Amino acid sequence: MNAPAALLDGIRRVNRAPAIWLSMWALTVAVSLPLAAAMRDLLKADLGSSLAADSAAEGVNYDWMQEFTADATGIRATFTPAVIGFGAVISNLSAALDRERQPIVIAGAAAMYVAAWVFLTGGIIDRYARDRSTRAHGFFSASGVFFLRFLRLVVLMALAYGGLFGYMHPWLFDSVYPDLTREMTVERSAFAIRVVCYLGFGALLAACNIVFDYAKVRAVVEDRRSMIGALLAAIRFIRRNFRAAAGLYLVDVLLFAIVLALYAVVAPGAGRAGWSMWLAFAIGQGYVLARLWVKLVFWASETALFQGRLAHAGYVASPKPVWPESPMADAIGR
Amino acid sequence: MSRIACALVVASFSAVSVTFAQPVSNGSVNPPLSPRNASYSIDARLDPGTRTITGSEVIAWRNITTRAVTELQFHLYWNAWRDLRSTWLREATLAGNKYNRRPDEWARTDVTSISLLAPPRAPVDLSAKVRFISPDDGNADDRTVMALSLPDQVPPGGTATIAVKWTAHVPRTFARTGAIGRFFFVAQWFPKLGVLQDEGWNCHQFHAGTEFFSDYGVYDVTLTVPKGWIVGATGVERERRDNADNTTTHRYYQEDVHDFSWTTSADYVERTARFEHPTLPAVDMRLLLQPEHASQEGRHFDATRHTLSSYGEWFGAYPYGHITIVDPAYQSDADGMEYPTLITAGTRWLVAPRVLTPESVTIHEAGHQWWYGMVGSNEFEDAWMDEGFNTFSTARVEGVAFSPNYLALRYFGGFIPYTFRDVVLSRELDRNRMGLYRTMPKSDVQSAPSYTYFPSRIARNAITYAKTALWLNTLERHLGWPTLQKTMTAYFSRWKFRHPKPQDFFEVAGETAQRDLTWFFDQTYRSSNVFDYGVQDLKSADDNGMFHTSVIVRRYGEAIFPIDVRVTFANGEKVDQRWNGGDRWKLFTYDRPSRAVSAQVDPDRVLLLDVNSTNNSKTLTPRGAQAATKWSLKWMVWLQDLLLSWATLA
Repeated sequence: MNAPAALLDGIRRVNRAPAIWLSMWALTVAVSLPLAAAMRDLLKADLGSSLAADSAAEGVNYDWMQEFTADATGIRATFTPAVIGFGAVISNLSAALDRERQPIVIAGAAAMYVAAWVFLTGGIIDRYARDRSTRAHGFFSASGVFFLRFLRLVVLMALAYGGLFGYMHPWLFDSVYPDLTREMTVERSAFAIRVVCYLGFGALLAACNIVFDYAKVRAVVEDRRSMIGALLAAIRFIRRNFRAAAGLYLVDVLLFAIVLALYAVVAPGAGRAGWSMWLAFAIGQGYVLARLWVKLVFWASETALFQGRLAHAGYVASPKPVWPESPMADAIGR
Repeated sequence: MSRIACALVVASFSAVSVTFAQPVSNGSVNPPLSPRNASYSIDARLDPGTRTITGSEVIAWRNITTRAVTELQFHLYWNAWRDLRSTWLREATLAGNKYNRRPDEWARTDVTSISLLAPPRAPVDLSAKVRFISPDDGNADDRTVMALSLPDQVPPGGTATIAVKWTAHVPRTFARTGAIGRFFFVAQWFPKLGVLQDEGWNCHQFHAGTEFFSDYGVYDVTLTVPKGWIVGATGVERERRDNADNTTTHRYYQEDVHDFSWTTSADYVERTARFEHPTLPAVDMRLLLQPEHASQEGRHFDATRHTLSSYGEWFGAYPYGHITIVDPAYQSDADGMEYPTLITAGTRWLVAPRVLTPESVTIHEAGHQWWYGMVGSNEFEDAWMDEGFNTFSTARVEGVAFSPNYLALRYFGGFIPYTFRDVVLSRELDRNRMGLYRTMPKSDVQSAPSYTYFPSRIARNAITYAKTALWLNTLERHLGWPTLQKTMTAYFSRWKFRHPKPQDFFEVAGETAQRDLTWFFDQTYRSSNVFDYGVQDLKSADDNGMFHTSVIVRRYGEAIFPIDVRVTFANGEKVDQRWNGGDRWKLFTYDRPSRAVSAQVDPDRVLLLDVNSTNNSKTLTPRGAQAATKWSLKWMVWLQDLLLSWATLA
């Protein structure tokens, strides 16, 4: 199986399991909604019965926005024009690449969100590996089976990503980049170096990402218990199938770029209150769904590639997980 | 501006972007516009390899005060960056700045000889008569002011001619002065006299938060730089000769200015254009661009043209006939600074249309030709008089010539601009920097000497730039633009080529407005109190067919300003009442056949200094919940996108 075939297979597997896709969207909503509600309360309290709300409802009241965030901390400080339309994507992408700190509340929510993904990863990959319905009990059973294993993998991931963001990023962007550009008098040359730094850092991130992805895939498909073993196996797989694995990752990244480009075209601006704000929100959710779909396609296509190269499609070593009977049922049975 | 209009502007600039055979000016101004009591003939050579300037100057000074002096005082500004013990660097460090410089990146000015010239007598060497003084803070380690004892006193009307030789090391840029690569921007670079006033010498140490002050004169400056390097300088180039040592000597000349700065670089792209106007004198514009900004030529010229036109029409004509706009090199930190007949603008490689980079900084610095260049207020003591006036004037030009313009934020290390087309920036608030003022409105009392303000950039700019612009714009709305324009025109006319003090402006304002404005300047200039009026309560109840409406308005801030209170009724009727704003609160009642809909204090936003405009109104049909829902939905999508970015690593 080559990369395009794995991609197509991955897309097919994701599309055949819409419940997973929609569940992950529901998870995203569930994590973001309470904070959005808190933000709404803050905004509402600030506007009160002021006429400033009229212009804020009809478009942008930038003066009020600045008043709202003056001396603000926490989530209040995140209410900037960057939340408008595609600006949100640019701003978050830039913040990630430039390692900007987020308020503790946001970071906490993000940590919870990532933890939920870690818990569900086993179920998701198991479903895509089997490429047939596992039902909720099978899904959560697999999630539960692999959760503790993936927690061990998370320790390795934290070490790797922590090293990248905690040491490599500051070294690259706060030391190497300033040293390389210190005497530069041409901005586009400095920009070119920054792009190279971004690409270098991005390549390291991608390398870690791809290794950890295949480690998860191998752990699930081969029912591996040792995460170090899974990691080493993933590295072996990538090394032996480098062109296919790297090519597939690049095609997946391209898919991500296409989603961003499409959203750049359709992303709604500030808009008005009323039905149009719900339409704008719906477009935003469409974008969120699209990004989730791409993320799932990453895993599904990587699973397909692994199975296509080393095993037959749909093969998983472990028996189909069955949710255990309760102790009470056992007692009745006896 | 429509595309057609843009095309016409571009076409008109293309048509004039040629070298004119007959320049408008040769640096002479006839008749003299200033006292010309401090004139400099300077000869300087730059060695770019060692970043050294070797210079000699002859200063012709005339005592135009009523007091005799036996001492001269000089600024040696570059000694502010000699080491971390200087007052400038102590203040900058206090403000949180850090300076990790290599040994060759610091600056210094060393006077190697100084003598009194009194032909036909032989020059009197006074090198042993110099000492460093610290009139502001007593810092014995500060060497930015040098005092020279004279053998004889200089009486009122008397003159002294001083010859100085010095060497200076060009730093990696401090305060927009310095070098990087093959780019040099050289300002505040020569031993320069302070200003003698009737009260004595006004020669402050160099401070991190303030700029400069000096007398007007004639500058005749000869600069020797590597051959092939382009030079831009105050004044007009009168001579140029190539030397045998692969250098070129340029001679620049300008009358009626109070400073001289210059730049040289091997990389500049030179462009020229001419400003022409039905009622204002023509001005030759010379633009020294970085090659990567060559496509922004039109934007720089357009901004300068609008400045020359608007300031000229509003305040008075630009008399010099030429202006040089310098686009500094990337990372030179020389951008956004004013010098007589020469300014540094500042732009980026990637710029967006309808976002005022490079226009805003170009207008601002060109505008300083009026508020700093011609009206020579004391930037050490009253920095708001040039920066604040000019921020207000800049915003006015931007409002007239460059509306609408939008908010752009820069991402990915600041390289990529992203324009928020929904966020239209307003002249009154955004361009007058309300957001900046709101962050530190009480940082300092404006009437305190500027060099004593807390030296952080935000604190200083909030009071110097933003507060002044906001109170001037408040005056414009309070008195009307015709009256304020008359004030500023009269102030400009009366004080150009002189050194006004704050009271001089206040007197002109009172005269032209034909009313006592002391109360206003007491609130704004002589106090750090903030303005904050609001509607505390609005009720409207049916009372046997008539609606009884009550409005409580409140003064939350300490500062006082007379404001209107407007109540709007359901039948469309609007009732305005004036409140002197003095008490802490006031009750307004109305009996009308219609229910009140809303109440507003300062409905026309006359008082732009009000730090909280959200509390300025109340309505009985609030839309706060609607607006909050709309914005929280947008914020939620932003948050979801952020969560997904983190989940990439999961």
